[in-house]
Amino acid sequence: MKPRTGIGGNLIVQSLAQIGSGGLFLLTLLAAIPRSLRYFRETLRQLWFVGAMSLTIIMVCGLFVGMVLMLQLYHVLSIFGGTSASGMVVALSVYRELGPVVTALLFAGRAGTSITAEIGLMRATDQIDAMEMMAVDPIAYVATPRFLAGLIAMPLLTCVFCAMAIFGGHLVGVTWLGIDNGTFWSNMTAVVDLRTDIVNGVLFKSLAFGTVVSLIAVYQGFATPPTSEGVAYATTRTVVASSIAILAIDFVLTAFLM
Amino acid sequence: MTDFVHATTDDSTLVRIRGLTTVLNGKPIFDGLDMDIPRGKVTAIMGASGTGKTTLLKHITGQMRGDAGEILVNGQNVATLSRDQLFTLREGIGYLFQNSALLTDYDVFENVAFPLRQHTKLPEVLIRNLVILKLQAVGLRGAASLMPGELSGGMARRVALARAIVFDPMLILYDEPFVGLDPVALNQVLKLIRTLNQTLGITSVLVAHELEAVKQVADHVFLIANGKVVAQGDPRTIAEDGSPWTRQFFGGEADGPVPFQYPAGDLGKALGFAGLAK
Repeated sequence: MKPRTGIGGNLIVQSLAQIGSGGLFLLTLLAAIPRSLRYFRETLRQLWFVGAMSLTIIMVCGLFVGMVLMLQLYHVLSIFGGTSASGMVVALSVYRELGPVVTALLFAGRAGTSITAEIGLMRATDQIDAMEMMAVDPIAYVATPRFLAGLIAMPLLTCVFCAMAIFGGHLVGVTWLGIDNGTFWSNMTAVVDLRTDIVNGVLFKSLAFGTVVSLIAVYQGFATPPTSEGVAYATTRTVVASSIAILAIDFVLTAFLM
Repeated sequence: MTDFVHATTDDSTLVRIRGLTTVLNGKPIFDGLDMDIPRGKVTAIMGASGTGKTTLLKHITGQMRGDAGEILVNGQNVATLSRDQLFTLREGIGYLFQNSALLTDYDVFENVAFPLRQHTKLPEVLIRNLVILKLQAVGLRGAASLMPGELSGGMARRVALARAIVFDPMLILYDEPFVGLDPVALNQVLKLIRTLNQTLGITSVLVAHELEAVKQVADHVFLIANGKVVAQGDPRTIAEDGSPWTRQFFGGEADGPVPFQYPAGDLGKALGFAGLAK
């Protein structure tokens, strides 16, 4: 007799099954890391593909996020005569939240989807099976280098995003709105803490997001049905699952790290 | 569980299958299938679509495992091999996929060089010479710098063949190598299969539907249906053995032992007329 579950029940069961399956896949990836070290060039190639090729979108978005944040803060803080604190607030917002979160969301959209689509198409065109037949382990050659590349690229991209956002805030606040340059930098350096804001905010969060987004992207690529429709659904699932995971993990990490 | 005699191989048999039984998604694919593939010969496996020909190749290479039975490849029981042992065995097997399965990120040269780079530490000049020789063997030395997307179907299959023979394997498995080829490309592939078999002594197993092509290249043919070998023999005479299976398959009859209708329930019930079938 089939268990009686409604649509909600099925959704929960399917989600839990996906999470369990993803967890096992993570263990498989981690176990394959020693074997994948011989494919170091492939990891470097993927690092170029997911990291360096994502620089443009990360830099442009970082710049505009910093600019718009400064603009909004300046107008709000001017009501209280506190515009000199704008740079400080921009920096704290970027380091603690916007930097890691927006970078991870952009990374999921730019690199995560391409990883999923690439692996999905490799499956659909028998390239993964061909590697198996050539006695090449696809987990060590295809999955792990992409996973490691995402893990390494995310903190670096987050640093670039934060730098561009601060530059954007400076551009609007100091160059356009006339905040004193010395006040902008001195308030910022006085308040930003290396451990709380840089290590916990930027590095720790971005490493966690890099792990999750890369895992989801690679897993969806391998789990996708080898059809064009399957690949389309898998790329969509990568973005949706990554976005939800990023925001949920951000809340948990913030609660523990504050 | 099916009873079967444990398989052993001698010098004349490279692949021996005994009592292979496989059920996929509740559907029986093989039902105690027995088959001996002779060493150094070209063997064709034929049968209607969906009879498990490609699945049989995947069993031979250990990509899939049966529910019962044994498959010995060069004396090794595929089902009992560890992953590392299986990979070692596969280094001696070439597999030509139906859609060629070339790595789309790499050009023709790098596709053929791929197994060499993964499994050997040969100097670059030796890898280059080996790849050029293999490409010369399939007539595509001049296409070394092309990307897979720039190749025709026939060319892609020949590149895949060059990649499959780069280690001079003992066994090559061809999955429907003639599908979608024009007459020129078809004859080129036929010539290559025969040449590789004769000059290198490679055992070849090909899954195909085209009897005329099989007649030109194969030494022995197996016809499988209902999960078993229903006929076997010389490809030039097998069509004349008079069994209903060979008559339907080689005569191209729409109905026969392989039914026209996929198994289904009562038509009357499906149409809402309970008594129609009576």
